[in-house]
Amino acid sequence: MQGQELTPTVTDTQPADARAREDEWLAVRCQLGERQAFDELIERWGEPIWRYVRRLTGSNDAADDVAQNVWLRVLRGIHKLRDGSRLRAWLFGIARRTLMDRLREQYAAPDVRAIDDVDLPAVDTTEDMETDLTAVERELARLPVVEREVLTLFYLRELSLDEVADVLGVPVGTVKSRLFRARRILRREVERQQNHTNVSPHGTR
Amino acid sequence: MTTTHNASRPSTSAASLHRLVDAELSMPSRLGYVGLLLAALTMTGVVGTLWATEPALPMRTHVAFGLMVAIGSSWIVFALWVLTHRRILFARHNIVAGRMAVTFTSVFLLGSLLMGYATGRSEAYKAAAVGLLMLGLAVVVLVRAHREFARLAARRDALERELGRSRR
Repeated sequence: MQGQELTPTVTDTQPADARAREDEWLAVRCQLGERQAFDELIERWGEPIWRYVRRLTGSNDAADDVAQNVWLRVLRGIHKLRDGSRLRAWLFGIARRTLMDRLREQYAAPDVRAIDDVDLPAVDTTEDMETDLTAVERELARLPVVEREVLTLFYLRELSLDEVADVLGVPVGTVKSRLFRARRILRREVERQQNHTNVSPHGTR
Repeated sequence: MTTTHNASRPSTSAASLHRLVDAELSMPSRLGYVGLLLAALTMTGVVGTLWATEPALPMRTHVAFGLMVAIGSSWIVFALWVLTHRRILFARHNIVAGRMAVTFTSVFLLGSLLMGYATGRSEAYKAAAVGLLMLGLAVVVLVRAHREFARLAARRDALERELGRSRR
């Protein structure tokens, strides 16, 4: 994957303004108490939230647990959301806070970088490892939490720079510098892994 | 996003999330707590009024009234906490709750007035005064609930027009 950049998902091609209106429409219907709107909210965001949490926890069970708590908080808090167009940033902000609360409970010293190495997902084998995408996925899982979450939010979860800054509670400039650092680490690791695979007797093609 | 990782597939089933929504949006549960709130408010209001206005009560009656007001206040706090933290009232729920409050307080007011008219006891009229105050508050709550619902519904309709969606 020489020099290859992660690309935004297909739904990112939708204009940001239209996305914001879609989000607000969903949020307003939830605030009205329309049952179908809650089903649509979960249908639309259930998987992205789970995958975001899964990337940061590195464990399916932990992701299940956190995702349930995220949705509890969402259902009990969406009536207070003032600007429905901020729905996606608000959702991922809740997911992040829920995750941090869990980490604080689990570890007396909340050093999230140290936690990073504890819950690394199992490395998949055989065919999956042969694709660049899988290599990126795997190396993404190995990144420190700070870099992993900024890459996940920006490239994989369709959030704009402003929205990522909103979720993380940091200035846009900080998001940019984290993205720069994360991309650099990721590219270096993927290239190193590919070089290693090419010289390995089992990895030679 | 497409991924080939089995480990990356969500294992939180849609069914479990829908069960969560069912439990969280349960209407009978909400209305039960609204009923509890109204009953506790009425009981506490009437007992509190009697306690404050009856002259020369013996000490044991003071203690009994004090206990009843404390118990009623606890139920009010509990019901309010549940309705603001656990069984959230969304816009349409607020309208139902407001209508319940108006109905409940109207019946209480009428009952107190009829009792006062039939027996001539001043306590009934004091209770009616409490009922009138609560009816006024209930009407305010209902009007505000209707306004908030109308505001949100107007925004929803405007967004549907912009997005070219039709009501299902």
